Amino acid sequence: MAIDDGRSFEHPLYHYWENSPGGGIGLTTLDRLLMHSARHSLWFFPMATSCCAIEFMTAAASRVDLDQAGTIIRPTPRHCDVMVVAGTITVKMAPRVKKLWDQMPEPKWAIAMGSCAICGDFYRDIYSVVPGVDVIIPVDVYIPGCPPNADQVMVALQRLQEKIKLQLEGKFVERDLRPGTMIYPKIGTHGDARQSAEVAQAQLDGARGLGVGGKEHRVPRPAAVQAPPEADATSDSGEQS
Amino acid sequence: MNLRQRDRINPHLDLDTVDAAADLMALNMGPQHPSTHGVLRIKLFLDGEVIIKAVPYPGYLHRGVEKLCERLTCVQLTPIFDKHDYVAPMTNEQALNIALERMLGVEVPRRARYMRTILAELQRLASHLLWLGTFTLDIGGTIGGGASLMMYTFREREPILDVFEMLTGARFHYNTHQVGGNRHDIPDGWAAAVKTCMDQLAARMPEYEEQCVTNSVFLMRTKGIGVIETPLALELGLTGPNLRASGVDLDLRRDAPFHAYDEIKVNVAVSNGCDTHARFEVRIAEMYESIRIVRELIDNVPEGPICSLKPVRTVNQIKLPEGKQMYTAIETPRGELGTWLIGGGAEKGACPYRLKIRPPSLHAMAALPYALVGHTVSDVVAVLGSLDPIMGEVDR
Repeated sequence: MAIDDGRSFEHPLYHYWENSPGGGIGLTTLDRLLMHSARHSLWFFPMATSCCAIEFMTAAASRVDLDQAGTIIRPTPRHCDVMVVAGTITVKMAPRVKKLWDQMPEPKWAIAMGSCAICGDFYRDIYSVVPGVDVIIPVDVYIPGCPPNADQVMVALQRLQEKIKLQLEGKFVERDLRPGTMIYPKIGTHGDARQSAEVAQAQLDGARGLGVGGKEHRVPRPAAVQAPPEADATSDSGEQS
Repeated sequence: MNLRQRDRINPHLDLDTVDAAADLMALNMGPQHPSTHGVLRIKLFLDGEVIIKAVPYPGYLHRGVEKLCERLTCVQLTPIFDKHDYVAPMTNEQALNIALERMLGVEVPRRARYMRTILAELQRLASHLLWLGTFTLDIGGTIGGGASLMMYTFREREPILDVFEMLTGARFHYNTHQVGGNRHDIPDGWAAAVKTCMDQLAARMPEYEEQCVTNSVFLMRTKGIGVIETPLALELGLTGPNLRASGVDLDLRRDAPFHAYDEIKVNVAVSNGCDTHARFEVRIAEMYESIRIVRELIDNVPEGPICSLKPVRTVNQIKLPEGKQMYTAIETPRGELGTWLIGGGAEKGACPYRLKIRPPSLHAMAALPYALVGHTVSDVVAVLGSLDPIMGEVDR
């Protein structure tokens, strides 16, 4: 009979090593090695929707060559550590982004690339666009630009590696702030002010997978299955026996 | 059931009429699939591995651009138009500005027209290079060897983007056109940079073409796949290389000249193959033609002003006449990009009342339910790659 001693997830050798004299030095070295490998083998999941996707492809191609930093771009979320949101996220796409983010294994990080992913850019006030992807997933690093140059992806990767190092060492990590939205000529909003506030709220609710008025989409459950009539019940039981 | 033998494929096939013994399955492709060129979802109904019905569902990148255009003035519209077809932003800007110029009756200086022609052809090269890379990547796979040609074509695309950066200061979304001409004049050493870039590309293009054409796997994956017959292509409104690969000799650069195309000769590539390989051949031939046009024009750019109107000072300095409407179309790398414009909107006529975009990619998407039926799932990416739709343009 297995006894749960609270150490079942550790390798037995690990415990033995920890208790042996001088073993702690070896363990910290091993820990540092694991940290180093985690930082330098980040696999990217491209959540590529529009213009920034082309620039992200350029970053992966010959000139910038993201591969030199140990990254691999994999199209499936289950293999990846970092989600790169490149492009506009619409209300129709947002639930899929959330689902793909949930499918990624821990530990995971997110990069918002381009001003559409950061704040929605020009399309911020449009009914079908999510005003920034950090409404639905937590973002670690922002890359401003429309679209950012390909080498900026490399800069963001270095920033992410630095953050991961500090996180794994247990140190305080300063949170990246969403870059200030650009000042642009005033665009008239839809209808009157009250109506535009409603549109803005509906955008946010739609992005979170909620329906009108912030209510959750729930398919009403069918009424409890009624007991079959007497005659059927007897015939069923007869067949089973 | 041999679906290719019928005279016309039924895209609205009723699945109840299919043989009950068939091994039917519904499969979703996308919206997050690396080969769907963005966010396209195709619902495939399969009999074993053979597609019997395909239904594309666009709309995952709908950004409400036409509605946004009603609230922006003519001067503010250009950067919005960059983002429709994000693989060829330069030609999109030109489509909008030509529409505005023809509506206002503004004459464009000859120097600006020549510059626009060169930029359009360079953009066609950059767009087709990206298409060649992603098309072979889709067919070959990242691990299967398709990535090697993609690396080459992206390397060739970089000098073209550098040339654009020299001129406009931006790699991607340029905002270099305005009503009446161009915003940025040719800097020193630009012509030499363009020539170097074209020499490099002209030397390397045969190598890339040979990599594809001499590869028996490539030929097997493309020949006879995704056939769109000529009557169907005309009926669906296909334009550009997709139409020319279906045997119709139509190119707006020659048939309705817009920039300086009336002063030069454009050889239009046409193929009668109607399949994926024909679309590949037409695009490759267009790239050689673009190189020729750029080399011909780059030394002959006339001197003079680059814009016939005053530079932009305020956002509502250009007013559109009220009630006037006009349809203008130009040839972009993907086909006929039309703009239907009605003047006299908000801001005392500085905004358009309505701006309807006729994107070539949307019509290419309409061919999918016809072209995919009868093929296997692995051919979907080949057909989709050869049609070259850009989802930013489809959904707008």
